[in-house]
Order: sequence, then C-alpha cells, then structure tokens
Amino acid sequence: MAKLSLMFENRLVKEVPVGGRPVGIGRSPDNDLPVDNLAVSNYHARVYFEAGRLVVEDLASLNGTFVNDLRVERATLHDGDSIWIGKHHIKVDASGDTTAFGDTGKKGPATPRINETMVLDTKARREMLQQAAAMGERTQFAAGRIKVPTLVILGGNTDQKEYVLTNKLTVIGKSKMATVRLKGWFKPQLAAQINQRDDGYYVGPGDKIPKVNGAPITGPKKLNDGDVIEVSGLRMNFIFRE
Amino acid sequence: MQIVSGGVTNVGRVRTNNEDSFRIVDSMNLYILSDGMGGEAHGEIASALAVEVVAKHCAETEVDPAMTIFADMPSAWSEKTRRLSSAVHLANKSIFDSAQKHPEQRGMGATITAAWIDGTRLSIAHVGDSRAYLLRSGSLQQLTSDHSLVAEQVRRGILTPAEAERSDMQSVLLRALGAHPDIEVDSEEHTLFSSDVLLLCSDGLTRMITEPEIAGTLQAEPDPTKACERLIELANEQGGADNVTAIVVRIGEEPKSWFSWLRGGQKQKKTTAKIGSAGGK
Repeated sequence: MAKLSLMFENRLVKEVPVGGRPVGIGRSPDNDLPVDNLAVSNYHARVYFEAGRLVVEDLASLNGTFVNDLRVERATLHDGDSIWIGKHHIKVDASGDTTAFGDTGKKGPATPRINETMVLDTKARREMLQQAAAMGERTQFAAGRIKVPTLVILGGNTDQKEYVLTNKLTVIGKSKMATVRLKGWFKPQLAAQINQRDDGYYVGPGDKIPKVNGAPITGPKKLNDGDVIEVSGLRMNFIFRE
Repeated sequence: MQIVSGGVTNVGRVRTNNEDSFRIVDSMNLYILSDGMGGEAHGEIASALAVEVVAKHCAETEVDPAMTIFADMPSAWSEKTRRLSSAVHLANKSIFDSAQKHPEQRGMGATITAAWIDGTRLSIAHVGDSRAYLLRSGSLQQLTSDHSLVAEQVRRGILTPAEAERSDMQSVLLRALGAHPDIEVDSEEHTLFSSDVLLLCSDGLTRMITEPEIAGTLQAEPDPTKACERLIELANEQGGADNVTAIVVRIGEEPKSWFSWLRGGQKQKKTTAKIGSAGGK
C-alpha cells in the first residue's frame, strides 16, 4: 500500500496510507492530512489512485502544489517524489507491496517526530512569519497600523487620565506600585488587574470584582474594544488606539 | 515578606530521559527553570548549563555589582532585572559556544524562565515556551508569552487558542537558548502583593492540564512542594507526554498593610524575617 508522510523541516508530522478513497490535504482540520500552515488553502490538494497510478491534483489552491519543484495542477506520482505545499512537504512512498501499513522495519534510522521540540532557524522563521503576515487579513498587522491598548478614565480619582497598557500585567489599585493608581481613603491596594494574553487582554478580580459593561465578571473576562470597566468607584474605557 | 518555595521535576509517562532542569536559590529568592532539547543526552546538558549559568551569574553580581551587563536594556529596569536578563544572555552564549566546540551537541537548545524576587519586586526573564504564572485573588495571570510558532499565530489573530492547542506544530519554537550567538530575552518587572503565588513550569505541565486545574491546585495545596507534586501527578494522569517540572513560590502576608500599621505594627516584626535576605536592600 502506498503511503504519504507529511514532513516539516525533516520531521515527521503525520503518515497516512493511500487506499480506496482520495487523501485530502489542506489547512482545514477535516482533511486526512491537515497542514497547519498559512500558505496552505483550506482544501489544497488531494492524492488518489487512478487506473493503478498514484495521482496528485491541486484543488485550485492559492499558493500552488509542487512536485519536486514543478508546479502542477495534476501529476502522476512516483516512489520517492516529494509534494511541496508551503513549508511542508509530503514524501511519497509508492514502493509498497509491503502488506501492513505502519511497518517501518525496513527503514534505517527513525525519522525524528514533530513532537520533539525544535527551533526554527532564522530563515525558516522569517519565511513563516512573512507568510503569516501576508495571509493574515484578519490581523491587526495587515492594516499596517499597530493598535495600542489604552485605558481612558471616564470617572473616579486617579493619577492620570489615560494609561497605555505596556505590561503583561496591569494593576489597578491604591498601591504605589499600581499602574493605574487610585486615590482616596479606603480604596483597595489591588482593585483589579488586566493580563495580556496571546489572544487579547483579560480583566481579572483583585480585592474587588470589577464590572464589564455593567455586569460583574465571574472569572478572567476578555476585553473588547470599547468595553467599560467599573471597579472601586472608577469607570474607564478599554480601547485600542491607532 | 515571607517567602516559601518548592520545586519538583518528573520524567513523565512517555519519555525515558528528563531534559528539564531547575534551581531554587532560597537565600537569593532566585528561581530558574529550563527545558532542554536536542538528540541523545544533549537536551539535558543544555538545560543544566542554562540553569547553572544563570544561578552563577546572579550570585556573582551579588558579590560584585560592578560586573558587566550584557546587551542593551531599558534603564528604567531595576538592577536585578537587568542582571537576570544579562544572565540569560550569558546562558545563551554558553550553550551556543558548547555546541560549537562539540559537534555532537549541534542543535541542542533550551528554554528558560527565571524569576528573582527583591522585596515586593518580581523580575522575570524568559525565552521559549516554559511559562511563569501568578495566582492572585484567585485568578491565574500568565506573565510570559510562549515563543512558539502557534502562539505567534494566535497573537496575529490567525489561530484561536483552541486551534493552537490542537495543532501538530506546538513543539516548533521561534526562540530558544543556544540556537544563535545572540538572543532576544523577554524581561519584565511586577509588584508582588501578599498571598501571591508564583508558578514556573515547563510545557509538559501546560500542555497536559488546563489553567483552571492549575489555579485550583495552587489554591487547594498551601505547601509549595506538595503543590508541585500534585500538579505533576495531574499531568501524568493526563498522559504525561513530556517531562514535567514545576516551581511554586508562595508570598506571605503583607506586613505593611494600612490596618496593621494602624494597629501598631505588631504583626510586622514576626513576618519580616526573610526580607532582603538576598542583600539587595
């Protein structure tokens, strides 16, 4: 039985056999070989048997399917060919009259697997991040403008009227080390805190439970542009400034 | 401010060798964790070297504050933050140099997450995908960003956090110690509050168990070492696919609260025994 091995930088990500039905390749997770890479279309290509020959067919992908450096729309595959899709490649093993799939006994040294930690070299890293930037119309980077998370004070007694959130953790409270410093007697040292995570900013409780848009939070709450946060007599607007 | 700490490392349920290293220097309130990578025993060499170099450099700067600081750093940072960051630069160079000298070590590398507490100030220096968390007022705050491909994609809005957790590419790092002669180190300072709990951990923990599970365990188990053991147990129950290491640091009650000052500060004396034991103040 023929098999396809999805490789990234000479590491094995996944192996699948090619049997009666086509093997789907693409970024969408419902593919037989999901390729987690931005240069890859959701349904990028497929590989199947036709008249006893193994065939790869590009599914009108944006960035193309390459067999050994040649861009193809449809091509017959031979043992040892490589299908290139973005930074990934798929090794074609069509040698297989060998019965049981998964029999790696004939192979030499084991291919390292992707679940071993690896570091991208500078070139690969730059290429992948460029792809990310090029593909990411949804991202803030695409517009070419960096959005700066800012707290604008709407009401209450603080040391500034506006705060740009630059730290992973912003403390709101009376403590002299707090970023947003509350003034006045009986204000808590630590009223609330805002944590920068990979996917955005989250407000969490301190000694008090803050409200977001009027509703008390029940745990760390992701902030959206324009949200109003209230805590300890302070009202502020969370916005992304361009 | 009284500080108690504990650390535990475990090989996990799948791997046969442990490439994680950690070091707790209680006398300096210094905590260092590293996760190594590379063939054969080289991941262990890299992480051990990282931890050793950072601990040694920080200790030396305590004795000789005039020691050179490597790389450019914002002058707004405290001395300790700059020292810690400098130590991480040095660790990078040591691992890189060792791999240059010993061809069989080529490709070895390590993550590092280091924390240094001076009074109420917490300094963090970080490279890779090990993490520092702060449990405060019941919520877990992440103090470090993973330098991994999937985390970068989440930051750019291309993957959701849930998609990142399912990705095959989770082990691909964009930054690690030892890969290049120069490295960008993430450093930050935070103010500690009473009852804060600091957690440093390798990805063997965070890939196996959820943040609510981590927060719950840290809240339920007051003893730092037992909390680490429990976290590791949970990770291993979930499969223990990788080495697991955790350091837990618990900050005691704040002696200088407004009310205790009003009451005449009797509470203050009892709890200040360990303040400034690092000699910083």
